[in-house]
Amino acid sequence: MSRVPNKVTLSIALKIINAMIRFAKDNEMLPGSYAVVDEGGHVIAFERRDGAPAATADIAIDKAWTAVTMKASGRILEVITRGQGWRLNVKHKGRLTIIPGAIPIIAHGRIIGGVGHSGGSAEDDLKIAQAGWAAIFREDDFESEVEERLSMARKLSKEIIKYVTDKSLRPVSVAIVDEWGEPLLLYRMDRAPFGTLELARDKAWTASAFRSFSENALVFYGEKVSTTNWNERVLPVPGGVALEYNKEFVGGIGIAGNEPEKDKEIIVEVIKKLDFQAIT
Amino acid sequence: MEEYDVTIIGAGIAGTSIARELSKYKINAIVIDKNNDIALEMTSTNMALVCQGGDSLTFRPGTLHAELNIKSIPLWPKLTEELGVPFKRIGGLGLIRNKSDYMKFLKMYTRAFRSSLRRDAPYYISENEFKPLQFLDRKSLKDLEPYISSKVLGALYDPNLSVTDPIKLAKALAENARANGIEFLLGNEIKSIEKNKDYFIVNTSKNSIKTKFVINATGINVDKIAEMVKARDFTYVPVKGILTDFDEETTELFSHQAFYLPRLGDPHVRAVVPIISGGLRVGIYLDFVMRTDKSLPSQGLRHNLNVIGDIIPGYPFRKHIKRTFFGIMPLTNAETGWHDFIVDIPNYVPRWINVVLGPAGVSSAPMLGKKVVDLLMMSGVHLEPKPNFNPSTKRGVGNE
Ligand SMILES: Cc1cc2nc3c(=O)[nH]c(=O)nc-3n(C[C@H](O)[C@H](O)[C@H](O)COP(=O)(O)OP(=O)(O)OC[C@H]3O[C@@H](n4cnc5c(N)ncnc54)[C@H](O)[C@@H]3O)c2cc1C
Repeated sequence: MSRVPNKVTLSIALKIINAMIRFAKDNEMLPGSYAVVDEGGHVIAFERRDGAPAATADIAIDKAWTAVTMKASGRILEVITRGQGWRLNVKHKGRLTIIPGAIPIIAHGRIIGGVGHSGGSAEDDLKIAQAGWAAIFREDDFESEVEERLSMARKLSKEIIKYVTDKSLRPVSVAIVDEWGEPLLLYRMDRAPFGTLELARDKAWTASAFRSFSENALVFYGEKVSTTNWNERVLPVPGGVALEYNKEFVGGIGIAGNEPEKDKEIIVEVIKKLDFQAIT
Repeated sequence: MEEYDVTIIGAGIAGTSIARELSKYKINAIVIDKNNDIALEMTSTNMALVCQGGDSLTFRPGTLHAELNIKSIPLWPKLTEELGVPFKRIGGLGLIRNKSDYMKFLKMYTRAFRSSLRRDAPYYISENEFKPLQFLDRKSLKDLEPYISSKVLGALYDPNLSVTDPIKLAKALAENARANGIEFLLGNEIKSIEKNKDYFIVNTSKNSIKTKFVINATGINVDKIAEMVKARDFTYVPVKGILTDFDEETTELFSHQAFYLPRLGDPHVRAVVPIISGGLRVGIYLDFVMRTDKSLPSQGLRHNLNVIGDIIPGYPFRKHIKRTFFGIMPLTNAETGWHDFIVDIPNYVPRWINVVLGPAGVSSAPMLGKKVVDLLMMSGVHLEPKPNFNPSTKRGVGNE
């Protein structure tokens, strides 16, 4: 007999996301963004399905963050703020997202994480997020079939995690973004500090934005790129790689957890095994 | 392969009360259960309270939970009489210890009045079938319950609350349905279901059945069975409730159901019920669990002893423990606590009805069958009343 987990690990977060996707597909709901955060509100796993609007990514993440840091579901917050929750958005740089589809993961009488979904109506978002939380009470494990682009991103990130584990390197966070720098997938391995996920996401964004290794943003476009602060995501540090598939630019990947050069080496080694090329 | 118009999966209180209601019509229907007998799951592990509706904060007007429960209240005496099942009006006491309790009960009282007693109420029940709730002061309360704690200052009294024996009731419903033509197939676990254009093939551990309509009343497994045909458009979380029974000697201590309001940040129920077979039943220690969880954590008994000690102080309850046991029920909207029943046809799977009850499911049984019959009729099932329906005859449902 299995026990209800008392901590959200990467594998539990993926089980939650798979359950949400399965529910959405079974009920013919629109593809959206699916986020799971830890008890501090930091992303453990995130996926955006093909066709889901890019803006849903941060909405899903911020919903999950709101549920955890406010210790209540979006439904409750909506009611207790009498629909005026948006006013609170002068705080926290607008992160508070007081709408349904935000659920704290409650287990053993405490909040151990949060689930967020964005991409459908408020009612659909709520139902999908509920399906996510409830997945921690399920014994069965299954992987939902996803569309082509997300399934490629899954494959790539799993290879990275396998490589890191096999070689006993330090645990990493993996970020995969599309050709516009918008996240498709974010995974944080257990014991990787939460800051690594943000670094990985910024590296992937930088690689995608400049279509090269992330550190080349500096080399090609001058020191100012990193110092003018025109975009807080620019991170010209090794560990971000722009990807080509069938000679076509498809997006970027970033990882963080080891020394930057090592992070870069991991990506370069792993993509060789799959059919991706790094844009140099 | 056997063919049926309607297949009911699950022979708990939901499946059996639906079967009994359907047996009033000319229809070819069967009930399947994995166990070799009726009502061995949730229906056998509960507080046995019925005629709920006026007594609890959870009955929000507008929910199916409130509708089915309140509308069931006037149906209980006749139903149990027809079937020869024990039924007893005990009355419920919402215990008041301070002003804040009183304010909450006042809100509840108003709600009960608005939802069922006013002539224009959504679930209007006349006064001879639903007695109005009333506030009791300390003295009248002491007259009713002489051993009650001196910390209790008064109570909201619901004279309608009753107890029955849910297992006997489910068996009687099944046997009456069987006598009126519904078939039963026990000891058959559902393994898979195939969805075709006009029919389903239900594959059990031993048989395959062809059926036009499926009613999924599998208790804690409704979601899993629904997923087999992509008919799960809801979510619930399994909640374990731990109860303790005290022996027959405790019967004379207390004659009403009584409960304290939940405290902030404390989800557990604090209630006592004099059950129909004698003795007091106390609970409920609640916990989200895996549905196969069989553990019985010691906090359960500790909580239940605290509860009864708080209501009736100074009695050696520890020496009168008969058994501690648990039931696992589905809770919808668990993240907000706004539970509701699901009795509905899913969006994309016609000829299928999911029945998720959870708290107060037994209590809603008389209306549940009628609700399902309505859904079947709305789906175009032709239901012609049977002129020779007998509401009291019985026939065994076990494997012959
Ligand atoms: C602690 C506790 C206290 C409660 N107190 C009360 C109360 O005081 N009053 C009240 O009204 N309600 C109460 N309830 C709720 C009430 O017990 C339930 O709502 C009710 O019993 C649900 O009945 P059911 O028929 O839906 O489920 P069940 O009784 O569980 O019936 C489901 C049936 O489906 C069968 N089944 C499941 N899976 C399969 C499968 N794969 N194949 C074939 N058959 C299958 C099972 O064997 C079972 O017989 C309480 C519940 C609990 C847990």
